[in-house]
Amino acid sequence: MSAIEIRNLCKAFGPVRAVDGVSFTVEPATITGYLGPNGAGKTTTLRSLLGLCTADSGTALVNGQRYVELPHPLSEVGAVLEATNFHPGRTALNHLRVLCTAAQLPRERAAEALEQVGLADVADKRVLAFSLGMRQRLALATALIGHPKVLILDEPANGLDPAGIQWLRGFLRYLSHEQGAAVLVSSHVLAEVEQIVDNVVIIAKGRLVRQGSLAELVSNGDAAVRVRTTRADELVPALERAGATVERHDGFLRVSGLEAESIGQIALDAKVVLSEVAQERSDLQQVFLELTGEGQG
Amino acid sequence: MALIKAELLKLRTTRLWWVMLAVTIAYVLLQLGLTIGFAGQGGGPNGQPIFPGRDTVPFQELMWGLGASGALFPMILGVVMMTAEYRYQTITTTFLTTPRRERVVVAKLGAGVVVGLAFGLVVLALTAVAVAVSVPLSHGELVLSAKILRIAAGVLAVLVLYTLFGVGLGALIKNQLGAIVAAVVWVFIIEALVNAIPALRPVGKWTPAGAGSAVTNSGVDLGLGTDYLLPAWAGAVVLLGYAVLFSAVASATTIRRDIT
Repeated sequence: MSAIEIRNLCKAFGPVRAVDGVSFTVEPATITGYLGPNGAGKTTTLRSLLGLCTADSGTALVNGQRYVELPHPLSEVGAVLEATNFHPGRTALNHLRVLCTAAQLPRERAAEALEQVGLADVADKRVLAFSLGMRQRLALATALIGHPKVLILDEPANGLDPAGIQWLRGFLRYLSHEQGAAVLVSSHVLAEVEQIVDNVVIIAKGRLVRQGSLAELVSNGDAAVRVRTTRADELVPALERAGATVERHDGFLRVSGLEAESIGQIALDAKVVLSEVAQERSDLQQVFLELTGEGQG
Repeated sequence: MALIKAELLKLRTTRLWWVMLAVTIAYVLLQLGLTIGFAGQGGGPNGQPIFPGRDTVPFQELMWGLGASGALFPMILGVVMMTAEYRYQTITTTFLTTPRRERVVVAKLGAGVVVGLAFGLVVLALTAVAVAVSVPLSHGELVLSAKILRIAAGVLAVLVLYTLFGVGLGALIKNQLGAIVAAVVWVFIIEALVNAIPALRPVGKWTPAGAGSAVTNSGVDLGLGTDYLLPAWAGAVVLLGYAVLFSAVASATTIRRDIT
């Protein structure tokens, strides 16, 4: 059983199809990056998974159950959603005590969780006085309060300084790779999560555009060759006969499944002049930008 | 029970509850003071007193019912118990902890009962002191009749029920300022008018204010008339009905909406 299983999830807000047929799974002891530009549908997916939004169709399961059916949700799932989910007049410790009471967790967990995220010093301070980074840590303490084996984080790096991001990475790695937690972390900035994720799921305009292991995504199997010619109509059928997959872009072709050398040979045979043959850099950033349609060029 | 305890802890760990308690105390003290001050003085149509004299039993009955006037403040606290969650977006964490949302509403109603009782007991204690001091000073005799006990119980009930009314209203409106303004305007302006205009009284007795007056009806007529009111028990049922109705409607509508 997957820790998180999302199948054909759809959710529209009025005419906007925020999430449109998304499916993916997250396994224990792995970190999955849920990537996409702002407005791609990441938050809506996560909120539907957590029962905060009602999906129009499809299923979203945690440990094989819908979130609302979990008997002890905080002991199964921890979620970090927004940095502002605190009453400003309540102290950090009291915030967690309320959760312990409601979820029937031992009282000591409140102080322990603060210790875990490095907020023990400010336990009795009102959240009012907290910086964004401290709020983000408190949100993480909130998520960890029930020792969950599934962690869901929505843009957790927002508001963290570089040292905080570094700390968060180490922490998530520890929770996942050493404690066996399944971690799903969303971000619109690939660089924030690139170093720690095992798998990536990329979404744009509500639709899944790519998913796989980080290794698969950056491997050459996915790399393409960029070809420029004025006679694409003649070249494309020839390339496709040779087994290539060709995407037509504005002014160039993106050919995958063939080496640059073979493409040159095919062009020569077809007597088509090429003005450019370039191996695409296949680093994840490139893939991400192209897949999400944000960086053509 | 755990959820009710958590709701009470939420209240105790922020400041609003004691501000509201202080205001309630001040307001009820003012009411008690004015009633003591004007007791037995003329001003009625034929020069007879509006307020019964301090040495009379009706004076004591009137005094015991005054605590109900403080119900506005626990009602606001009830509203805020619900709306603050939306205002500060703590509702996300609350629903992540308790994904079956109607349980949250029920827990808040449960906590509202405790809040209303606590406020009611404070108010009754104030009343007891005020009566115990003012009556003997005017050479009256302190009584603790069945009627006074019923009135005191009515004060408790009114404070509890108004708190629940506030919780239900807050759930329905969600916007904090909007809900508070709506509650105050409705209960203390519109209803006061409806209950003051004789032609509207058939409607007025079914409003929260009319029902609240019925619960603590001391039979002492201060010029507005009390005959039209429902029996005390029916008043309590009507008030409870509002709280349950609002909460149920809210659970089926506003509370179910997506949290984005």
